Amino acid sequence: MRPSSSTAKAFGLYACHICGLVSRPAREGLSSCGRCGSALRSRKVNSIERASAYLLAAYILYVPANVLPIMETQSVLGREENTIVSGIVYLWHSGSWPLALVVFVASIVVPVLKLLAMTLLLITAHYQSGWRPLERTKLYRLVELVGRWSMLDVYVVAILAALVQFHPLATVTPRSGAVYFGAVVVLSMLSAMTFDPRLIWDPAQKESHTHA
Amino acid sequence: MHDRPTDEPLEVTSAVAAPKGRWSLHLVWLVPIVSALIGGWIAVKAVLEHGPTITITFRAAEGLEPGKTKIKYKNVDVGEVKQITISEDLSHVVVTADMVSNFSAHLVEDTRFWVVRTRVAGGQVTELGTLFSGSYIGLDVGKSLVSKRDFEGLEVPPIITGDVAGRQFVLRGTGQGSLDTGTPIYFHRVPVGKVLSAELDTDGTAVVTRIFVAAPHDRYVTTNTRFWNASGVDVTVDSAGLKMRTQSLISILVGGIAFETPPNASVTPQAAENTNFVMYPDRDMAMKRPDQGTLRFTVYFTESLRGLTLGAPVELHGLPVGEVTNIEMDYDDKARTYRFPVELALYPDQLARHVQPDDMRGAHAEAPTRQEIDALVARGLRAQLTTGSLLTGQLFVALDFFHDATKALVNWGKVPPELPTIPSSLASLQHNLSHFAQKLERLPVDELMTDLRKTLGSLQTMLRSTDALAQQLDKQVAPKAEEALQELRRTLLAAEHLLATDAPLQQDARDALRQLGRASQSLHELAEFLERHPESLIRGRTEERP
Amino acid sequence: MRRAEHQPTTDLIACDECDLLQRPIALPAGGWALCRRCDGPLYRYTPGSLDRALAFSLGAVVMFLIGITFPIMELEIQGHVTSSSLYTAVQQLWNQDQHIFAVLIAATTMILPVFELAVMLSVLLSLRVQPASTWIPNLLRLLTLMRPWSMVEIFFMGVLVALVKLAHMADIVIGVALWSLGGMMVLLVAASASFNLRHLWEQVSSQ
Repeated sequence: MRPSSSTAKAFGLYACHICGLVSRPAREGLSSCGRCGSALRSRKVNSIERASAYLLAAYILYVPANVLPIMETQSVLGREENTIVSGIVYLWHSGSWPLALVVFVASIVVPVLKLLAMTLLLITAHYQSGWRPLERTKLYRLVELVGRWSMLDVYVVAILAALVQFHPLATVTPRSGAVYFGAVVVLSMLSAMTFDPRLIWDPAQKESHTHA
Repeated sequence: MHDRPTDEPLEVTSAVAAPKGRWSLHLVWLVPIVSALIGGWIAVKAVLEHGPTITITFRAAEGLEPGKTKIKYKNVDVGEVKQITISEDLSHVVVTADMVSNFSAHLVEDTRFWVVRTRVAGGQVTELGTLFSGSYIGLDVGKSLVSKRDFEGLEVPPIITGDVAGRQFVLRGTGQGSLDTGTPIYFHRVPVGKVLSAELDTDGTAVVTRIFVAAPHDRYVTTNTRFWNASGVDVTVDSAGLKMRTQSLISILVGGIAFETPPNASVTPQAAENTNFVMYPDRDMAMKRPDQGTLRFTVYFTESLRGLTLGAPVELHGLPVGEVTNIEMDYDDKARTYRFPVELALYPDQLARHVQPDDMRGAHAEAPTRQEIDALVARGLRAQLTTGSLLTGQLFVALDFFHDATKALVNWGKVPPELPTIPSSLASLQHNLSHFAQKLERLPVDELMTDLRKTLGSLQTMLRSTDALAQQLDKQVAPKAEEALQELRRTLLAAEHLLATDAPLQQDARDALRQLGRASQSLHELAEFLERHPESLIRGRTEERP
Repeated sequence: MRRAEHQPTTDLIACDECDLLQRPIALPAGGWALCRRCDGPLYRYTPGSLDRALAFSLGAVVMFLIGITFPIMELEIQGHVTSSSLYTAVQQLWNQDQHIFAVLIAATTMILPVFELAVMLSVLLSLRVQPASTWIPNLLRLLTLMRPWSMVEIFFMGVLVALVKLAHMADIVIGVALWSLGGMMVLLVAASASFNLRHLWEQVSSQ
């Protein structure tokens, strides 16, 4: 007999999300993990709803994050407001193109990728699509891994604001755009964290079950 | 005892071992690796962009600050002072500076560095801006190909930087006057260059001045050009009188050197860089003809040479034919007198003009031969000291023809040959006066005085007798004289009556005169009539009556 | 909540990402077991890693303390000098009334990494002590929750970007803390990598 590719859930087993222990839950009500004591759940609670909510919030805040300036430089030459894009352009023109590339990837590519990826994942999970589960899982893995990078620009602004305090020659002040951007990163991270990737495989599981 | 789940999934697959080359598992290292790469790239870039480090030594670090003072070329930052330390022997200061990387090709042997700060020199205040912005180190890029990293800084900014076109020359002179680095060089009163340095020669005999003449004026410096010290006001008091010459106001204050090519000198090529020239003390000396080709003569004078200076002109018929080149004193043993040999330098071309006939005159007139000079001397050419200006007492040597001069010959045997002289007119005047004074001296004054006294005595006696005579006259003669006078008065009165205006004598005389007048009038009329009508003599008078 | 009824089936593992139930396999040292279906990492066999983890963690703590307190870099423009450490940077941001910002930075770059290290250290240390503390499971749970939010490495890269941006306008002197943070970043990643959670859980459950 061919070993079945079956999820733990199909077997009625729960894997603890903290310690990984696979155990059978109590018949009724919530069980706690035998090893670590954390609540046992088959899947993350309201995964799709929560993840979608976070994602939506991230989408909303993405607009001001990019439109509003993230930092303001006051110098004897005048006041200059920088957005994420203008910072990248500056790095490119001043000859530090590797850094420009890094910041570009971290602050533009990654957030967009994250948002789009999560959207895809959530939509496919919601409609219980069986489309390419493996690729989707890999996508999720990628999103989780690089998600944190987007905080790069936030840290750059923080450092610059802390160091460049030469009145009146040059002063850097963080502006609201930075906070919104930080919020976008946090929200997208939360979205990814609350999304249960196992939901990708559940429809396939159901199908194979029904077929089997 | 725990139950095993009844439906223990025996069909559970087993996990798979990850293949060795599975890099994605180690993606967690991605960020540190990327950071390390970025850091490495920054470091590499910093090292590559880092230009060469140089050291410059100065006497003191005035105005220089590590980390702040910049090195500028044509006002562009090309380096920064990083560190300033004192040398081990405490003699100077070592400035370490980082230069921009693309400047390393210009750090060669003759690149010069100096500190640019406010200076007062040459009548100007320069670089006032550095009072506010702080001193900086200026540099002049050299043309050498030998690269260098340790330099000795100049204490004073160079007068000309490497990029100014022009040529340098060397002048030698004695007594430089007010010449210093930065003193201007004039050509036709236009400043065309600057003095770079003025130093004593190694053996202390002359002053060597290095000058720089900027392009395009450097082409006026030919091998025949004369340079002279044009500092201050050139006041010459010579036999011609008082002369004042100056180049410009600046040259009066700061000094200057001027140059010019003598007008009738032959055309010569431009002087090469670093040609040596003589620096003359003034324009006149500079413009004099070159020494070669002068005829040298000696003349001996016995009178005082006070007022004769070196360079005093020698004139023939009032035109300059040479100059006095040396004045000495000589003791003639035999005659037991002092005499003064004066050396003259005569210009052959000038002399020739007086000697040769007109058609032989030209640019290449030959120097007069011995025979010709002998002939001149035979005609009475003598040298004589003459006063040029009574005001200043300046003397000059005049060559002139004295027809009644004692015979003399040119002493060709001497070196230089000796021309005969004649005492100066002033000298003869002096001579005469002294002669007269001598005569006066020789007068027997005492005798004269005795004679005079005697004369006075006899005069006195004479006067006394005259006095007696007068008294006599007064007593006797006077009354008689009075009588005579009365008679005279009476006579005169009678005469007067006779000759009074209304005296009959006078009346008669007048009448007679009137008659005479009328007569002459008619005669006159007749004469006129006859003139008009000469035929009336024959025909008689017609009806026409005047 | 009531405890699970039965003995947990430690023999089996469910993939985190695709929930496939699988049997554990034998692994070479340092080898990873992957999910058969989705290639997701399941667990790793790292013998003796706990010692390494301890070493790395201790090193990371030292470096981190230096990294937080000493200035990261010194900035000089026209003679004016400012310098900032991580701590003073947060302080500056707070003083500029950028409260949210300051909290965000402080949390992700100081508080959480410190916590992470502290937890790791206490777990590692208490494991060496017999009997093991009963808090270990709780600590490990805390660690699992906190881990995603500790972003020191990103911060370090951000400092590098800021360095390059500033290099154009001022003279920069890199402070001790920069090197220290860099070192800490490497050590922390190494410590986390050798901190085999699965292995630890098994150790915990065996006691």
